[in-house]
Amino acid sequence: MDDLKIGVFVCNCGTNIAKIIDCDAVIDSVERLPYVAVARTYKYMCSDPGQDMIQADIEEYGLDRVVVAACSPRMHEPTFRKALQKAGLNPYFLEMANIREQCSWVHDDPVAATEKAAALTAAAVMRVAHHEALERRSVDMCPNTLVMGGGIAGMSAALDLADAGNRVYLAERSDHLGGNVARTDLTAPYLDSARDMLTERITRVVEHPNIDVLLESQVRKVDGFVGNFQTTIRGKADDGAPTDTVYDVGSVVVCTGYKEFDASRITHYGYGKLPNVVTSFEFEKMLRAGRVTTKEGKAPQYVAIIHCVGSRNLEFHAYCSRVCCMTALKYAHEVKSAVPGAYVSDIYIDMHAFGKGMEDFYRRSSEIKTLFLMYEKNDYPVIRKADATDDCDMLIEVNEILSGETIEMPADLVVLMVGMEAREDSEEVAHLVNISRDKDGWFIESHPKLDPVATTTDGVYIAGACQAPKDIPDSVAQARAAAARILARTARGKIEIDAVFSEVDEDKCSGCRMCNELCPYVAIEFDAEKRRSHVISALCKACGACVAACPSGAITARHFTDKQIFAELEGVLA
Amino acid sequence: MTFQPKIVGFLCNWCSYTGADLAGTSRIHYAPNVRIIRVMCSARIDPTFVLKALHDGADGVLICGCHPGDCHYSEGNYKMMRRYPLLKSLLADYGIEQERVRLEWVSASEGQRFADIVNDMTERVRALGPSPVKAALEADLAER
Amino acid sequence: MADDKLQIAIYWGAACGGCDVSILDTDEFILCIDAAADILLWPIATDGKYKDIEALADGGLDVAIMSGAVRNSENERMAHLLRQKSKVFVAYGSCAYMGGIPSLANLVPREEIIARAYLNNASLEPGNTTVPRLRTSLNGYDLELPEFYARVYKLDQVVDVDYYVPGCPPQPGQAQAAITALVQALTGQAEAPPKGSVVGASERALCDDCKRTKAEEKKVKRFYRPWQIMQDPEACLMEQGILCAGSATRSGCGVRCPDSGIPCRGCYGPAPGVVDQGAKLLSAVASIIDSKDADEIDEILLTLPDFTSFANRYSVAASPLQRSHRR
Repeated sequence: MDDLKIGVFVCNCGTNIAKIIDCDAVIDSVERLPYVAVARTYKYMCSDPGQDMIQADIEEYGLDRVVVAACSPRMHEPTFRKALQKAGLNPYFLEMANIREQCSWVHDDPVAATEKAAALTAAAVMRVAHHEALERRSVDMCPNTLVMGGGIAGMSAALDLADAGNRVYLAERSDHLGGNVARTDLTAPYLDSARDMLTERITRVVEHPNIDVLLESQVRKVDGFVGNFQTTIRGKADDGAPTDTVYDVGSVVVCTGYKEFDASRITHYGYGKLPNVVTSFEFEKMLRAGRVTTKEGKAPQYVAIIHCVGSRNLEFHAYCSRVCCMTALKYAHEVKSAVPGAYVSDIYIDMHAFGKGMEDFYRRSSEIKTLFLMYEKNDYPVIRKADATDDCDMLIEVNEILSGETIEMPADLVVLMVGMEAREDSEEVAHLVNISRDKDGWFIESHPKLDPVATTTDGVYIAGACQAPKDIPDSVAQARAAAARILARTARGKIEIDAVFSEVDEDKCSGCRMCNELCPYVAIEFDAEKRRSHVISALCKACGACVAACPSGAITARHFTDKQIFAELEGVLA
Repeated sequence: MTFQPKIVGFLCNWCSYTGADLAGTSRIHYAPNVRIIRVMCSARIDPTFVLKALHDGADGVLICGCHPGDCHYSEGNYKMMRRYPLLKSLLADYGIEQERVRLEWVSASEGQRFADIVNDMTERVRALGPSPVKAALEADLAER
Repeated sequence: MADDKLQIAIYWGAACGGCDVSILDTDEFILCIDAAADILLWPIATDGKYKDIEALADGGLDVAIMSGAVRNSENERMAHLLRQKSKVFVAYGSCAYMGGIPSLANLVPREEIIARAYLNNASLEPGNTTVPRLRTSLNGYDLELPEFYARVYKLDQVVDVDYYVPGCPPQPGQAQAAITALVQALTGQAEAPPKGSVVGASERALCDDCKRTKAEEKKVKRFYRPWQIMQDPEACLMEQGILCAGSATRSGCGVRCPDSGIPCRGCYGPAPGVVDQGAKLLSAVASIIDSKDADEIDEILLTLPDFTSFANRYSVAASPLQRSHRR
C-alpha cells in the first residue's frame, strides 16, 4: 500500500456547504494524512467541470483512490463512481464523506461543523485506502412486469408497458378494475365523466394481448431480485377454489391506492347518527345514479360541504389529502345542476387550488353562487338536528373567520370531504415487496424530490395514491413514469447489479453452520461433502448479517469489510 | 470549556441513514457531536465495532436500525436486537456506563426523531463526562 | 555447554504451572529436547538462576519460552530480560497469548482485589489490616516485593513476541509440534514460520474437527448448563442450548472437551484474523436465540449466568476494553 495516492475533493455545493463549513480548512487538515496526493475544493463537484477536474487529477497525479466530501452518497455516489470509471479507475475506489445532509445542513456552529467535516473526510480517506476493485455483475432482465392494483394508476402503467411489447400481470384484489375512480361520477376541474375515461382505459386493458388481468387475485409472495423476481399470485380457479400461480417478472409496480377516512370517528359531524350526513364517496354514488336526494327522498334545499374531514387534524391525520378541495367545488357545481334552486355552502379551512385549471374552477364556483364559509383549523363546525319549526333538516354552527361571526348554516344534506388514508393491507404489501412506509403508512419513494417512483428495493416501483394522497393527473403521471423507468431497463435486456456481496473464505470456514439460517435470502448453502458454507453471490444482498455473526470471521462483506470500518472509526475519532 | 462528547453513530443505509439525510434536507438542526459511519444493515454491526470505538476514544456509541418489522433485509434489525442486551451486559461488566451505548430504531421518514435522539444522547453523555477507557489504559501503562 | 546445542529458557509469569507440565507431558520427547538443547532456566524443573540469564550476551539464548501473563513487575522484568537475551521469544499458553484466566482479574479494580485477598474474606483473622507493601525494612535488610500492576497484560503488550502457542495448556502433541518446528527453523532444517504466527494449531475453528453433527436449524428458547439436561452426545452442543465456545475458538486441541460432553471454553483463542473472541461469541450466541421480542429475549438471556466470563474467559487482556473501567 506504500505507493497509494488518494485524491480528496471537497465540494462547496454553492453555499450549501461552504456557508457553514470552511472547506479550505478541511483541505488543510486532510492534506497531512498519509497517501493524500492532492486535495482541493470546487463549487459543484457533481457538475461537468467538477467531474472533469476529478478525472484530470486522476490522470495527472496517478490517483488510485478518490474521496469526495459533499452531499449524501445516496445522492451522488453513482455520479462520482461513473466519473472514476470514465477516468479508467474502478468505481469502487471512491468513498464519499457526507458533509452536507449530515453536517452543513444540520449544524449552525461553523467551528464545530468544520471540525466534524474534517473528521468525516479523514475517515473517508482512511477507509478508501482499504477499498478493493470490484466488478459489477450483469444479469438478465426479465421483461415481464407485475402491476399490483387495477385502478387508474395500475392500468396506466400496464398499458404503457404492454404497448411497448412487454407482458404485464395486472393483479387486482377485487372483482373489477377501476379502483376508487370507478366510484366517482365526474372529475374536477373540467367535469369530465370519470366513467367514460375509465371505460376507455378498462377496455384497452382487458383487450390488450400483452396484459393478463388477474381479478380477485392476491399477491402472496415476491422472491428474487431485480430483473429476476418470482411472484406467487393466488387467484380463483374455474371451480372457485383458490389456486396459486408463479410468474417470472423483472419489475413490480405497486399501485394499491388508498382508502377513505372513517367519518364516524368525528362525533361532532354526526356521521352514522344523522341520516343526511354522507361522505364524499356516498355522495358520488348518488351522483352516479343521477339522484341527489335526502334520505327521505326529497330534493335538498340546502346542501353543505365540509372540507378536511380527518385531514389536517392532529388527532387523526396531520397531512392534507390534496384532492378534496377541488372535489368539493365539483360537488357545488353538480348540486347546482342537479337541484337548480338549491343553496350550496362550502365550509372550508383553506382552498387548495394548486393545479392546472383549478384557480379558474374556484372562481367559477363562486360565480354559480356557492356560499364560502371559512373556519379556523381546530375550531370545527358542529352539526345538529334542526328543530321542527326550522325549514331545514340540520343546522351547522360555524365560527366563520372572514366575517368574524358565528353563523348557523341550514343543511338538508351534508357532504363530508373525507380524507385519504393508507389501506389496511399497506403493511402487508410493504413486506411483500420489501419497501418502507412512512409514519402515515404511505410507501416511501427513493428521493422526495428527484426519484418519486423508485423505492429502496431495486426493481420495485410505487405509483399513485399509495405513495401519498394525489389526484388523477398526478397518479397517471407517476404510473407512466414507473413504466418508463422499467422500459429503460427492459430495452437493454440485461441489467447490472451491485458488485457488493459477501463471500465465505473456505480456508477459514469451520462448517459450524451458524450462518445458514441467518440469511433472509437463503443465499448461504452448506456443502455437506466439503463441510463448508458458501454464499450464492447472485442471491446475496450484502446486508452483512452473516459477516458479523460468523464466529470465525470467515465471511467478508465486500466493500464493508472489518478493516474498512475500523479505518473509518479511526478517522472519525482522530 | 464545556466538554464536547465524541459519539460514533452506526446507521443502517436504508432507514436510519436516510432518516438522518432527511433531517438534513429538512434543515432540522441538532448537536454536532455524532460522527456517522454507514453500514448496509444494523445486522452488519459486529459488537467488536462498538468495543473498538470505545477503545479508540469514543465517548458514546449510537446504533440505529429500521423499526422491527421494517428492515430492508427482512430481519436484520432483529439480529441486532438479539446482540444488544448481551453487549450491554458485557459493557456493564467492563464498567462502561449504560448511557454511553444506545440502540434506537429510526425510520427513513424520521428526520426529527433522529435529531432528537442525537440531542438527547449528546446531553446524557456530556453529563457522564469523557469516556474513561483511553485515559485509564494509558494511565496503567504510565505506572510501569 | 556444548557449542552446537541450542540454549533455551522456559519461564513462567503469572501462571499456574500447567504449561510447564504440558511440556513435561510430552513424555519421551523431553529427552529429545534435552539432546538438542541446554535448558538454562526452567524453574519448575531445573536449577537455573536469573543471574545465569543476565550473564548472557544479547541473543545468547536461542529460544525463550514464556508462559503466564504479566501481573507484576517481576513478570515484566523477566519478560524484558528474556526478550533481550533471546533470538526467538515464544508466548506459550493462553495466559501468555491472551492474558488467560489471570486476566479475568482485570474485571475487578486492583484495590478491590487487595481488599478481598487481605482484608475481608472469611478465611482471614478478623480485623487484619496487613497488606503487601512494595518496600519493607526488617532486621536491617531492605526487602522488596514486585509491584502488583493495575491490570494483567498479555505478553505482547509488554515485549515483542515472535510466536504464540495457544492453549490452557497447549496439548502435549501441539507443544511437541511447536518446539520441533522452532528447533528445525533455528537449525536451518526448515523455514521459520512468519513472525507473529500462532504455531502448532489449526487455521480453523473447533467445529471443523468436532465430530458432532451440525444442523441448519440453530434456534434455542433457552440456555442450559451442561449438567441441566441429558445431552445428545452426537449433536452440536449449541443446538441443544449448551453454550460452547468452539465455533469461535481455534482448533488444534483435539476437541477433547466436546468429545467428553463438556462445551469448549475457548482456551485456544480466536480464529485467525478475529480481533475479539468475546465479540464473536456474543454474535454466535445472539444468532441462535429464537425470539423477535425484546422482553422475551431478556427472559432467555436470564438463563445465561455471567456471560462476560464465558465470552472473554481467557481473553480479557486481549479484548479492546482490556479491563473494567468502573470508577
